[in-house]
Amino acid sequence: MSPAGTIVLILGTLIGVLSAAALLIWVERRGLALLQDRLGPNRVGPLGLVQPLADMVKIMLKEDWIPPQADRAVFVLAPMLVLGGTLATFAVVAAGPGLAIADLNVGLLAFLALSSLGVYGVALAGWSSNNKYSLLGSLRAASQMVSYEVFMGLALGGVVLMAGSFNLTEIVEAQRWVWFCVPQAAGLAIFLVAALAETRRLPFDLPEAENELVAGYHSEYSGMKFAMFFVGEYVGITLIAALVTTFYLGGWLGPWLPPVAWFVAKTAVVVCGFIVLRAALPRPRFDQVTALGWRVCLPLAIVNLLVTGGVLLALE
Amino acid sequence: MQGLFYVSAAVAVLATALVVTRRNAAHALLYLVLSLAAVAGMFYALGAPLAAALEVIVYAGAIMVLFVFAVMVLALGREGERQESQWLRPRMWLGPAALAAVLLGELIYVLASGAAAVAGGTPVVVGPQEVGAALFGPYALGAELSSMLLLAGMVAAYHLARRKQMDEKEGER
Amino acid sequence: MNSVSPESGLVVAAVLFALGLGGVLARRNMLFVLMSIEIMLNAAALAMITAGARHHAADGQVMFMFILATAAAEVAVGLAIVLLIYRRRRTLDVDEAREMRG
Repeated sequence: MSPAGTIVLILGTLIGVLSAAALLIWVERRGLALLQDRLGPNRVGPLGLVQPLADMVKIMLKEDWIPPQADRAVFVLAPMLVLGGTLATFAVVAAGPGLAIADLNVGLLAFLALSSLGVYGVALAGWSSNNKYSLLGSLRAASQMVSYEVFMGLALGGVVLMAGSFNLTEIVEAQRWVWFCVPQAAGLAIFLVAALAETRRLPFDLPEAENELVAGYHSEYSGMKFAMFFVGEYVGITLIAALVTTFYLGGWLGPWLPPVAWFVAKTAVVVCGFIVLRAALPRPRFDQVTALGWRVCLPLAIVNLLVTGGVLLALE
Repeated sequence: MQGLFYVSAAVAVLATALVVTRRNAAHALLYLVLSLAAVAGMFYALGAPLAAALEVIVYAGAIMVLFVFAVMVLALGREGERQESQWLRPRMWLGPAALAAVLLGELIYVLASGAAAVAGGTPVVVGPQEVGAALFGPYALGAELSSMLLLAGMVAAYHLARRKQMDEKEGER
Repeated sequence: MNSVSPESGLVVAAVLFALGLGGVLARRNMLFVLMSIEIMLNAAALAMITAGARHHAADGQVMFMFILATAAAEVAVGLAIVLLIYRRRRTLDVDEAREMRG
């Protein structure tokens, strides 16, 4: 691809992802309100659509405060790591044939690598705040994210076995015959659980459980730095939905419509699924989260990997 | 690729130098993660994409997180920094720096004199498939042994970290 | 596209190893000693990868994985010991751990 084309693609991806995150904030607040029999934000603009913009103006005007007991450099760095790492991962996502900023041969591994670095943003945010609730929140976040990382990698092992490649474009092309959500249903289930835990979304939002830990690792954050965590969460959901689409739902494949439209539509459906999950599920205890991971997800992922490998060998 | 290699090498060396000289453990840890990421960049430039990805996933993303845990649990804070500046006087560096410099000189001398044997042959990309075939082919025994090692490490860490039993033992004495 | 000379990789590995060695010798804080050991292991891994790249073989990357496994096991046990010593003696000074009796 030409350099100019790459720059246009990078800008397009950035604008697309950030506006999707802004829209998602509105969708989630209205959607949750609908499910909980409330109205939700409906004052700013038609149906409250301009609410995210209003929120942005408000949050930018807030005082940017660093607590005196905090480790200043790390305190400032942590939210940037969270948002930057998630945005950088979009580089390997292909929204259509040839529409990836970096069509790496090891694209899937690059995603795992960047998401494993996401731990640092959260862990260091809690540590640098020098506040016991923040520290507890980030300890929880770090242990949860490190362990679910394992199951995520193992679940994706099945996809790699079936596609025979780490490249995201080739993984999508390998789903021409059947989407991987059919043969890899168990893998999809594990990936969804692990991805939810990785983005620290409800029901896995123990690191920021407000009724035990104030607001967990970002208790001390305000203004733009808090906004980075907040937007980072929504960018993270968009990313995970886009990856579920790529790995399991056939990516941009589909009849009639242009590829990008299929990709966006599938991603939107997955995101809505996440929002409904948030409304439907309560928050488990922390030991239950750990037990679910190591006692259910891990054995299931290994069995899935073994069965997939065995079937593929038998078919050869 | 050459540019990527040399920039990553410079970042790696600089970040590593900062790791060994920092007073604050968390800052040193961040520099170490940066250094590992830079080394991953070097791996990629050397035509080893799988190793580059694993360096970040396992080394930076999992092993270093254990250090983060330790730093968080120990909660050294300002106190630790004061202690560190007591321990880490410039005079302390004289001996180690001299020894390390001698070793470095020796290594570079050997590399320079043996350059004829090493030089030539530019790296090509060795993909994940070849690595997998080698790992579970001729090196299968090594793979099994390292899995044993990991298991032993896990058992040992679990045993060492069991608090209750330790406290009981201390109560006996 | 690929024109990195193998010896430059080895030189960087040597520099990193020397830095790690200096750290192990100079630091008294056990956490930093462990980190410096990690640096040295990583330098060895870099040398392995460079050698593998020189011979266009996968062996270097296989060796890298063994180093990775070793480092993981070492850190798990090492940090557990560090935490245990800290719990007993309330210090991270390596000199405090000279008497390895019970």
